[in-house]
Amino acid sequence: MYRRKWWQSLGLYLIIIAWSFVVVFPFYWLFTTSLKLPLHVARGPRYIPFVDFNPTFEHWEDLFTGVQGDTTTRHFRNSLIAASGSTVLSVIVGAMAGYGLSRFQYYWRILGWRNDNIAYWIISQRFLPPALFVVPFLMIYAAFNLIDTHIGLILVYTMINIPFAIWIMRDFFDTLPIDLEESARVDGASRLQAFIRIVFPLSTPGLVSVAVFSFIFSWNEFLFALMLTNVNAITLPVLIAGQNSTRGIEWWNISALALVAAVPVILMSLFLQRFITRGLVAGALKG
Amino acid sequence: MQTIPAGSAEREIREDTIMKRVFLSPSVVIILLFSIFPLVWSLGISFTDVQRGGSTSAAAAQSEGREYIGFLGTGFQLTLRNYQRVFEDQRLHTTARNTLFYVVVGVIVQYALGFGLALVLNQKFRFRNFFRVLFLLPMMTTPVAAAYTGRMMFDQSLGPVSDFLKHISQGLGLVPTIRIPWMTDAGVAPWTLVIVDSWQWAPFVTLILLAALQGIPEELDEAARVDGANSWQIFWKITFPILLPISITVILIRGLEIFKIIDIIVIMTGGGPGSATESLTMYIKDTALQFGNYGYAAAISYVLLVLVIAFTTAILALSRRVVPQNR
Repeated sequence: MYRRKWWQSLGLYLIIIAWSFVVVFPFYWLFTTSLKLPLHVARGPRYIPFVDFNPTFEHWEDLFTGVQGDTTTRHFRNSLIAASGSTVLSVIVGAMAGYGLSRFQYYWRILGWRNDNIAYWIISQRFLPPALFVVPFLMIYAAFNLIDTHIGLILVYTMINIPFAIWIMRDFFDTLPIDLEESARVDGASRLQAFIRIVFPLSTPGLVSVAVFSFIFSWNEFLFALMLTNVNAITLPVLIAGQNSTRGIEWWNISALALVAAVPVILMSLFLQRFITRGLVAGALKG
Repeated sequence: MQTIPAGSAEREIREDTIMKRVFLSPSVVIILLFSIFPLVWSLGISFTDVQRGGSTSAAAAQSEGREYIGFLGTGFQLTLRNYQRVFEDQRLHTTARNTLFYVVVGVIVQYALGFGLALVLNQKFRFRNFFRVLFLLPMMTTPVAAAYTGRMMFDQSLGPVSDFLKHISQGLGLVPTIRIPWMTDAGVAPWTLVIVDSWQWAPFVTLILLAALQGIPEELDEAARVDGANSWQIFWKITFPILLPISITVILIRGLEIFKIIDIIVIMTGGGPGSATESLTMYIKDTALQFGNYGYAAAISYVLLVLVIAFTTAILALSRRVVPQNR
């Protein structure tokens, strides 16, 4: 085994420490700003709580009580509905198509497409710039009264999520041995029964990957949420972005709000990290 | 009619021809309805004068009290005006240039940085697993929150970055102190946005390349060392070539993602100063949402698509050249 020279180790540790600082400091700044009084923000940077300034939980209290509290919870709920709704749909629809593409032979005669062509057509949708959909969605949604509704957002997010969901699930089912389903079918189960009772439970890791990705994407999405909501269905990212124009810069409040939006996905990512890695790596290595 | 016994081959085949459609159809229907149909719709709109609440010529006719039918009684006019405007609109050219800047510079910075971090995390050191997770944190943050944090960090008078620079230049005895107009100067602001985007997304490159690095057998390195190769040679002759195919994929993915850039810009600079940091996506959004000019917004969204396709083609052509084809 190759051993590092002392200066190589020193360099390595210096890089690690320096980059850790670059990663952690903004989070630290975000959090401490949420504990500062306006006056502590306005007079130039203050770094260390209790030394440079007296931390206060005032803004956090404001955020969750009274009128502001209603706003926060309402938008949090909107985000939660849009994200979980599209997650459930993406997982179901994605798993079905992924299973189909993994187990059956398709041939679309008019286009001359087989399974691989269909899969590439589906994944290519994921890379279309969403700006292409700005005009048609504004018009179509206005025509169907879907503007500013939860279901409207859920449908767009599902559309954006399913290509990746199908891609991951197909990859997953390809690695799942076919014997179990076959023996179930010999015992008289139909395709659908075999899928629901045997395949679905076995594919939890793949399903969790898809769910995590769909949820995080929908939770963070900005452009469509901004376009397609006005009042009732506004999600957290749009609420946060709106803060900076409507009332001047209230750094302390926005910091707290930004943390409210960011912390759930960070925690989720940390706990489910191996599923994320798995999904991303599978997606990138195959694509 | 003859009944077919359960479990027989014939029944399975018949069932499968139905089931295979059942499994794939929902996805295909959703994609056709929510992706292909809007695309075609949008292409059509780009050749019309449709605006929010009707068409320009219809509005003009109404104000003059004329009766107006429009193209085949649809109430709007077919026109090439939108695409003509594409060539004249200075703001569009600026936003297209900005977008390409973000893509090219962003991809280079994120790839270099992400690769470097992947190499570091692939070394053996204490608490390595902890740092592997820590370094991914930015990627897991809501982009809007990251953008807002970036705005605080780079604030001229209240942000810590300017404060650090002040202390550094005082320490070095520099007069006047270094002051960088991070978000207010047309030349600097695009770089600031790239810094924030790279802070968030270099970890993505790290994650993928680290996974690929872990797949390289250690014996390969050791054999090279026995033959007298140094670390530099090992990197360029072994590691880098092995990672080249996955690198192309990562560059493609990041590039395509940066083409969509909007939230960081909206929050950090609002597109300013002037249009110096505005991206195409942002301009499209404003044209449709703020000015209500659907026809033109649709036309420029197709300009964006052309750029995206050109980028993808270029990267794929590059990959065919540099990646040895063994299939």
